[in-house]
Amino acid sequence: MNTLMRVIAYAVIIFIAAPLVIVVPMSLSTASSLQFPPPGYWLGYYASYFSDPGWLRPTWNSIVIASATTVLTMILVVPAAFALVRHKFWGKGVANLMLMMPMAVPHIVMAVGYYSVFGQMRLVHTHLGVILAHTCLSVPITFLVLSANLKGFDRTLERAARSLGASPLQTFGHVTLPILRPGLLISALFAFIQSFDETVVAIFISGRDAETLPRKMFDSIRQEADPVIAVISSLLFLIVAIALIAPHVVSALRGRFTTKGQEKALIAQ
Amino acid sequence: MSSYLSLKGINKSYGDFVALDDVNLEIKKGEFVTFLGPSGSGKTTTLMIIAGFEKATRGEVEIEGLSLAGLDPQDRNIGIVFQNYALFPHKSAVENVYFPLQMRKVKRKEGMRRAEEMLELVGLKGFSHRHPKELSGGQQQRVALARALVFGPDLLLLDEPLGALDKNLREQMQIEIKRIQKKLGVTTIFVTHDQTEAMSMSDRIVIFSQGSIQQADAPLEIYHRPKTQFVADFIGESNLLAGKVVDAASGILSSPVLGDCTYSGDHQPAVENGQDVTIVLRPENLTISRDPIEGRMNGRMKIETIVNYGDNALVIGLSGGVPIRVRVLGADVVILSEGDECCFSWDEDAIFLVAE
Ligand SMILES: Nc1ncnc2c1ncn2[C@@H]1O[C@H](COP(=O)(O)OP(=O)(O)O)[C@@H](O)[C@H]1O
Ligand SMILES: [Mg+2]
Repeated sequence: MNTLMRVIAYAVIIFIAAPLVIVVPMSLSTASSLQFPPPGYWLGYYASYFSDPGWLRPTWNSIVIASATTVLTMILVVPAAFALVRHKFWGKGVANLMLMMPMAVPHIVMAVGYYSVFGQMRLVHTHLGVILAHTCLSVPITFLVLSANLKGFDRTLERAARSLGASPLQTFGHVTLPILRPGLLISALFAFIQSFDETVVAIFISGRDAETLPRKMFDSIRQEADPVIAVISSLLFLIVAIALIAPHVVSALRGRFTTKGQEKALIAQ
Repeated sequence: MSSYLSLKGINKSYGDFVALDDVNLEIKKGEFVTFLGPSGSGKTTTLMIIAGFEKATRGEVEIEGLSLAGLDPQDRNIGIVFQNYALFPHKSAVENVYFPLQMRKVKRKEGMRRAEEMLELVGLKGFSHRHPKELSGGQQQRVALARALVFGPDLLLLDEPLGALDKNLREQMQIEIKRIQKKLGVTTIFVTHDQTEAMSMSDRIVIFSQGSIQQADAPLEIYHRPKTQFVADFIGESNLLAGKVVDAASGILSSPVLGDCTYSGDHQPAVENGQDVTIVLRPENLTISRDPIEGRMNGRMKIETIVNYGDNALVIGLSGGVPIRVRVLGADVVILSEGDECCFSWDEDAIFLVAE
């Protein structure tokens, strides 16, 4: 049993890690198209990524669209999560279902829908169109993460704050928000990633003007298999790795400082 | 002394369910009052109405004759200690205690100094920079108490604050809370379902049952002169026996189990000849002997069970088919064994009548 589990675990790890093992060397390759194993190594494709507006513009578009999507999603989801978790009202079940709907409908169906409706509204090929579509797609996962956090929040803390003299607004600012901050950050991150990663809808409606990075990569791999794709994949991987490791490093450092501070305080007495 | 906090005819319904039914209570300034009652009897609901978190369906809460009706919880100046402490996890102990002062616009330096002083008063000097999760249950309790007191509340409410602590810590905290309350002289309502806690701490105990107040009296008064059958049964151990008043003027009653007997007339509720009453006899006021004792009233019983507690024992016997419980000292129990026939006897002032 134990060995079987171990074998499965390693299989999963290899399966997940394999694309990375291939992509990173390919990004350093001298070959003129995607090719494994690489015939030689250089940094030329990194240089061409950072100097080619054809790549930088979609990157910037993606960052702008994902950021705006995150903001818009949070503006919609935060009040919705508070209302649905904390209050009983008529039509609550339907509201819940509507919020989750984009998760159930296949993206390709949504994409076709957006293409025709946004076409009439002249929103195709605009940033705003992509932002609106992505917001719709990010709402379910963001809502799920945030409402799970909210359900675990002990409301007597808010009562305690009120009894100690805080108005409802002060209670939100001093107690509710700081305690929910990690949950809010994580759900916002989910919204950002959902948008940054989204390809199907982007292919249908982002067009030339609002072209996102995944769409550009898709076009590029279809036409010429430009090794810059491997460069971008490697860079994205690097960013994610840093994002995953950074909190641990920060908390480890902070932990060392606070324990030192406490020792000092105890000695001082 | 006139009353400080008044609850006037408070009713609270949740739909069809009546959680509080005409609760009336007067509390004096500086008094330590305990709400005691089984779970679901309305203690927390009453506190939450006083604190302003629940609205009474009917009735008024007044402090010094002024209704609190228009005031939000944050404007009532009432300190609350919740059962789970409700400390802010993202703030250190001293920041938790500073919070109510911060809300009252006290300057940070001055406020932190007062918070530190209050932590010292509750015995937490040196722990001020710890976060709640770095403190033990008892220490968290003390922080919660300090936080509820630091702003000089008009009223302190504690809702089963010791429920989560183990027995030794509980007793220690009971003494601590009492000491601090006396020192600050703050009017206090303490909720518990533990009667020894209520007995040892309170100036007055308020007994709740099914949303209404059964009795509000000093601990010994409650113990020795229960006003209702519920109180007699709920507080301490008692033998509750049916009886009928024969002659109210000279204190004679008859009972199927005890036979005809006399009772002392002091402090008994008003009864009439022929009225049905419940006779309360505390197990510790009964004595067991082989033969009837001269000068006391005696009954006979057959011993069914002896439960030993070390320094004392509870003897349960049957008399005319009705169980009689007698508390005896440990030394006396060795001469008894289950199945024995024996006498139990009592003084006439051991009997207390409940008229309901
Ligand atoms: N929000 C509510 N809705 C319906 N019933 C409630 C609500 N809050 C309390 N109750 C009921 O009111 C009664 C009194 O509750 P509570 O005051 O919490 O009792 P206690 O604190 O004495 O254990 C209980 O039967 C409880 O179920
Ligand atoms: Mg309660």
